[in-house]
Amino acid sequence: MKKITRFRSYLLSAAFAFGALTITSCDKKDNGPAGEYARNGVLVSNEGAMTKSNASMSFYSHDSKTVENESFKKVNAPLLLGDVLQHMVQHGDRLYLVMNNSGKVVVTNAHTLKAEGEIAGLEAPRYFAALNDDKAYVTEWLGYDPATYVYGNGRVAVVDLNTLTVTKTITVGVQPEQLILQGGKLYVANSGGNSVTVINTATDAIETSITVNDGPSSLALDRNNMLWVSSRGIKSYDPTDWSVSEEHSTPGSLAKINTGSNSVAATLTFTRNAPSPDKLTPNQGGDKIYYVFNNKVWVQDVNTTTLATQPLIDRGSYVAYGFNGLGVEPGSGTIYAGKATDYASNGWVVRYNPQSGAAVDSFRVGIAPNGFVFK
Amino acid sequence: MAKFHYPLLSCLALLLGIAPVALAQQDTTVYHLRTVEIFGKPSEVFASGSRVSTLDSSFIRTYASGTIADALQARTPVFLKTNGASGISTPSFRGTSATHTAVLWNGLNISQPALGQSDLSLLPLSSIGSIAVQHGAAGAMYGSGAIGGAVLLNSPTQQEPGFGADVMQEVGSFGRYFSSAGVRYSSQKLSVALSAYRLAAENDYSFRDYGRIGAPVRRQDQAQVAQHGFTQDLSWQLSSNTRLALHGWYTFADREVAPALGAANTNAEQLDRNLRLMTELNHSSNWGETSVKAAVFNDYLRFTDNNNYSTTDINTYQVQAEQTYTYARRWSLRGGLNLQHFDADVQGYGKQVTEDRASAFLLFRYDPSERLDLSLNLRQAFVKGYNPTPAPTLGANWLMLQQGNHKLYLKGNVSGSYRVPTLNERFWQPGGNPDIKPEQGWSYETGLRHRYTLGSVQLDSELSVYRMLVDNWIQWMPITSSYWSPRNLQKVRSQGIELSSRASTIIGDWQLAATGAYTYTSSEQVKAYEGNQELNQQLAHVPLHKAQLGADLTFRSWTLLGNITHTGLRYTDNSNTGSLPGYTLLSLALHRKFSIGQYQFVTSVRSDNVTDREYTVLENVPMPSRSFAASLRFIIP
Repeated sequence: MKKITRFRSYLLSAAFAFGALTITSCDKKDNGPAGEYARNGVLVSNEGAMTKSNASMSFYSHDSKTVENESFKKVNAPLLLGDVLQHMVQHGDRLYLVMNNSGKVVVTNAHTLKAEGEIAGLEAPRYFAALNDDKAYVTEWLGYDPATYVYGNGRVAVVDLNTLTVTKTITVGVQPEQLILQGGKLYVANSGGNSVTVINTATDAIETSITVNDGPSSLALDRNNMLWVSSRGIKSYDPTDWSVSEEHSTPGSLAKINTGSNSVAATLTFTRNAPSPDKLTPNQGGDKIYYVFNNKVWVQDVNTTTLATQPLIDRGSYVAYGFNGLGVEPGSGTIYAGKATDYASNGWVVRYNPQSGAAVDSFRVGIAPNGFVFK
Repeated sequence: MAKFHYPLLSCLALLLGIAPVALAQQDTTVYHLRTVEIFGKPSEVFASGSRVSTLDSSFIRTYASGTIADALQARTPVFLKTNGASGISTPSFRGTSATHTAVLWNGLNISQPALGQSDLSLLPLSSIGSIAVQHGAAGAMYGSGAIGGAVLLNSPTQQEPGFGADVMQEVGSFGRYFSSAGVRYSSQKLSVALSAYRLAAENDYSFRDYGRIGAPVRRQDQAQVAQHGFTQDLSWQLSSNTRLALHGWYTFADREVAPALGAANTNAEQLDRNLRLMTELNHSSNWGETSVKAAVFNDYLRFTDNNNYSTTDINTYQVQAEQTYTYARRWSLRGGLNLQHFDADVQGYGKQVTEDRASAFLLFRYDPSERLDLSLNLRQAFVKGYNPTPAPTLGANWLMLQQGNHKLYLKGNVSGSYRVPTLNERFWQPGGNPDIKPEQGWSYETGLRHRYTLGSVQLDSELSVYRMLVDNWIQWMPITSSYWSPRNLQKVRSQGIELSSRASTIIGDWQLAATGAYTYTSSEQVKAYEGNQELNQQLAHVPLHKAQLGADLTFRSWTLLGNITHTGLRYTDNSNTGSLPGYTLLSLALHRKFSIGQYQFVTSVRSDNVTDREYTVLENVPMPSRSFAASLRFIIP
């Protein structure tokens, strides 16, 4: 009985997808991939609340201008996506969903969202990067010492994308966050330390380590193949209200690394101590890098040697996680921000004009939206 | 206004499959409205016009292998939030949360001060003599926390002089073993009762793991439970009008906490150790009844997993003195004072925290005629740094119509309530909010009760409607991805309907009874401090509908019990976008009683979740599949 229903819903969605394709075929090339989520739109990853296993995906269609929530569930129910969707990446025809507190990466078809498998056995995985159709890397924090709350070194898992298994692990620095591939090298930001580890993707061995400011977490490549690194600085928390102390913290910074020589070409340090820069996001041309600092969005021209003095997007006193996710749409350049109201209610995606920074519109998605894949 | 819910009893017995030793079919009338005796009565007497249901001691004795959570889940409209087979089980009265329920033991609040709630799955029925359940606010009577309701537990009292004992052993599915034993002795001067229990359960039931690709069937391997405890009750009649009682209650539980489907297993384990000691002196004189209680509680909780080691160790010292004066069954006045001192050594606070609380109360009951009783109560609490508003209650119960075999009562109640934020809400780091405001509530209810008696046919029905408004309702929210923090919802409105009915009769050797109950609960935030909060949406984890049907059939020494409960859809978030489907559960039990000489044996078999329904109470936490249990109980009366 169940099978028939599933088959029917599959047929239905296939029919819809087909319909959508025929309708949009005037604007798109006819040989595009088939699937409900291959359409002209945006996939949104919604982190969900930790331990609740309520991570989800949303899909915004540019054609119908409507948002569909719980897309993964719609296709794969009663399967669950998992706990804490940390990072979503499309590579080829597959979508890789890093489920932080499920200890795995869920693999789906990028166009239908049909679950195809999982990369299991990971410990607190954070970010994913595919080298090619055969090999990918995942950063893992591993656990901390329950007595001291101190993390040891994390690692990078080398994944065989054909078998979806971990073939090797490479120990890197503490709390490895984002990773990026460039010129046969994998760059890993060790956010619990002050270095970027460089791994040779041919040998999967560590080649060198580049020292940056404390707390490097996000990475972006610009048009000149310069690697931008945002470092948070060392944050000291006020013991009474758990706010970040301006007085006792060190400032964050942006570092620019020459990927040819693996050396730091410039470091731009912020003047305020408490806020941290994060979520470096280049535009399509790679001449501008957007980032979040002090719950505002700023833009850095890649050839400028100073930090911007005015934010591009300033919502005043905004919800604490107003920029939980940041994305720049290729083509239009529209800025997408994932706004988490809290971790128990659904969040919003707010779109901003890339020139003026003005809010254009918004739509409601799942809990704590944090990433985008533009179709 | 204590009222017996006989159906409660039977269903409970059914669910827990207890021997019908004292199922008390022998005299059904006993289970209906008892004449109100004000003298030396519990606080329920002062709850005119509110809904109070009671489970009696003989029933609880027969129900012994279960917990108070099981009992309430099966027999009352209270929704129990149960976190898996081994997990915490907390009550939700009338759409409120666990912190809105006061749990009192012999008149003293035993809610764990750090969490401000009681995990009812830690409280075994075998340790308790009687349970009364107050539905709706009763802040004046029960103090901080009695916003949605209260659970009133009392130690067993001895009736018959002499020696008695009983031993019970139960074996059930998923590696469940329950044993208990009790002895009691009672003379004119002294009565002593000791009991102990032990529970071990693997809870290794199978479930489909929808958190893994392919949804493989897995065995639960992270829900093992070990519990034990003992109870000691000693009562000494010092003189004809003075009685001294000592009560000791120790419970220990070591439980594995199963992760949600899809979440990593972090080997979470919770250890609870609660020791409660109290002494009570009662004296009656021309000035009425004097009661002085002094208690020391130690609540220890240790939570560990791969990444955490957290301990909570709190000593609570409590004194309550009260004086009750009763005039010729026409009116009764009780005044009292309660003092509490908390001494908290909680790792999560990063420092030692102590707190003193005091409250003064005045309870007044007046019966102007045989057909009308009224109550007027007031309580004022004093807590440093807070200024709780006074909590009053005004209630009435009126026998409106009496015609032939019919009796129709009209009842109503207006009640204030308050709750001082718990220690965790203020001091836990990170997340604790020192600026959190205390809660304050108002509850309004009215209802009709109909009773019909004709020979052995009894029909008893009650309909209540209520509305409750709670200001500054505290809700823990995952404000960030890494920790939770409490915040105030400006105003929450909970309103609903409660319907219950019971019919029973005796035909020859047969005793038949049927019960039905239904509740509709709407609980919504109606005013918010910040713009983005969800308004007019059902609060998460509050079922709109809950219904139950029960039947019990007794033929000579055989009893068959059946119970169906339906719990409706619950939303899992405050946006009402995610929800969990409703579920219907069936339980069946069969008992047989044997007598060998003066000794009694009770054998019983039962099955829970008979239809093998796949369900979850909370999101992604699979509950046990069909289970069976058999027990034997030996009683020396």
